[in-house]
Amino acid sequence: MSAEAAAWLLAAVALAAGALAWSSARRARLFERLHAETKLRLEQLQREFERFAPPDLVERLTEGRGDVAPQRRQVTMLFADLQGFTSLCDRLDPALTVTLLNDYFRHMSEAIQRHHGHITELVGDGLLALFGAPETNPWQCRDAVLAALDMRAALAAYNAKLRVQALPELRFGVGIHTGEVIVGVMGAGELNKFTVTGDPINVASRVEGLTREHGVDLLITGDVRAELDERFRLREMPPVNVKGKPEPIRTYHVESIAT
Amino acid sequence: MTQELNEIPWSEPLLPPDIDPAWEAELKRRGGNGSEVDRRIAPSPWLREACLGINTGQASEIPAHLFNVAALVTSQENACRYCYGANRAYLKMLGYSEAYIRRIETEAHLAELNDKERALIAFCRNLARSRPRPARAELEGLVRLGYTLAAAHELALWIALGCFYNRVTILLAVPPEQGFEQWVLAKRFRLMLMGPVMRLLAERRRRGKRDPQATAETLGAGDYGTVLRPLAGLPGARVMKGALDGAFASPVLSRAVKALMFAIVARSLDCRPSEAEARRLLAAEGYSEAEVDKALSTLQSPKLSQSEARLLPWVRDTVHIQTAQAQSRTRELAAAIGGPAALEAIGVAALANATVRLAMLLE
Repeated sequence: MSAEAAAWLLAAVALAAGALAWSSARRARLFERLHAETKLRLEQLQREFERFAPPDLVERLTEGRGDVAPQRRQVTMLFADLQGFTSLCDRLDPALTVTLLNDYFRHMSEAIQRHHGHITELVGDGLLALFGAPETNPWQCRDAVLAALDMRAALAAYNAKLRVQALPELRFGVGIHTGEVIVGVMGAGELNKFTVTGDPINVASRVEGLTREHGVDLLITGDVRAELDERFRLREMPPVNVKGKPEPIRTYHVESIAT
Repeated sequence: MTQELNEIPWSEPLLPPDIDPAWEAELKRRGGNGSEVDRRIAPSPWLREACLGINTGQASEIPAHLFNVAALVTSQENACRYCYGANRAYLKMLGYSEAYIRRIETEAHLAELNDKERALIAFCRNLARSRPRPARAELEGLVRLGYTLAAAHELALWIALGCFYNRVTILLAVPPEQGFEQWVLAKRFRLMLMGPVMRLLAERRRRGKRDPQATAETLGAGDYGTVLRPLAGLPGARVMKGALDGAFASPVLSRAVKALMFAIVARSLDCRPSEAEARRLLAAEGYSEAEVDKALSTLQSPKLSQSEARLLPWVRDTVHIQTAQAQSRTRELAAAIGGPAALEAIGVAALANATVRLAMLLE
């Protein structure tokens, strides 16, 4: 091969190598951009999803970790319900009703999250918050009661604002119970959700219902009381028979906490 | 979900800088850098020693490259604006490109790594996060992939120390080293050229020999010695040992409250050996089993002073740390108990988190 041919061949090889390198680099850049966009979309989706389920759970699901299957564990449940809100809805403008409700839920949610709880259900003007699920929490009863006291303070502050605007004030009832329940993602077909099931959840709901009967805003059961220290000022309520329970339920009104 | 650097909320510093010329001179002599952290922890002798030990620490079993990557991943996972920014800038100073760092952060890099490297990064994230809590099996997993047991222990030690340092800077809300970050940005092209040399020098600085003085007997003597004993020979082990000895000997907070803080972190992470060790310390301080049970279930103890009692509910929020909330609660705490006690409490909380994270892997 002549020197000239060799030079041409060398140049052609160098050109081909350069083209190949350029093409690979371009493909790598494209891949990186695609990855960055996908990652951004996933993060946006994750943030949106966190409005519907506890962040820990969302993380477990998006990371494909298989630890969301239902399991039995100790959980403290807090039911809160607005009293007289249904009749209020009939009198108020629908847009105003929704604004009131959204503001109320926002204040309650902040109080619950401050004390390591997660809202898992919103039904009408009621909510269910869990303490000790999805992640374990050795101080779940204490946290639930502190959250309820914070909710009481937040509602009082919100009512002060409503008074200034000449709007009707809100009143709630809160019931707290603790017990072993089945917790996890449940559902069928296209509708699944993170929730709890078991008898303690019914008790918590009944206790919330008893707040009307006793004329107080915040009730806990004896099982919750057993986990609290003496700083919590409690008043024992008369035992009451409730649907589905052979024995009357003994509850305690949480008056305050000593600071 | 890990956060980007500019997404991490960060408040004003908790404490003002405390300039101690003698300590600053000592820092320079021993290879420290007189950072914003150093100036804020200067009043606590054991804490400043521990942080200096971490900043100048060496590894004998894991390569410097992985050491640096582990520090970046741990600080990102802990959402520590200060450390994350500083680690990022440090990697750039060593000539790593922005694209490479981004790939580690966004995990795009994982696809290009081998099983060993991928496992290392996952291990960093899992131990830093501890949700779900890691266990001995994860350490053994690293060994199965080809790491020596000593390397796996060393990696766990440096992640734990990273968690310690991250917590100190988060809870103190140390202002980011923006001067350093901007300098690196301004000199990025020059640094990319000089990177290989810088990396060589940095690797030499980080590369340590096995420490003959860190024997199992030396490490095993003292509080939480059982956690330290398996780290025998590792050059970083004495940093941890010094921190534990110094923290428990310090007179600023009572030994009882420090043991209770360790016990609460242990219970949060469900680490029974760590809780058992804290119970042993509490028994020596005159606590009965029932008193410890009561304190751990209510986060209250009538035996503590009013200001020390505030530390029990506060310390649990340092376990799965949420930056904004932790800084806000620490500010409330400092307002109630004063700067010196708050600084000590921050050090103890950070150390409890590091110690229990290590202990979980040895259970």
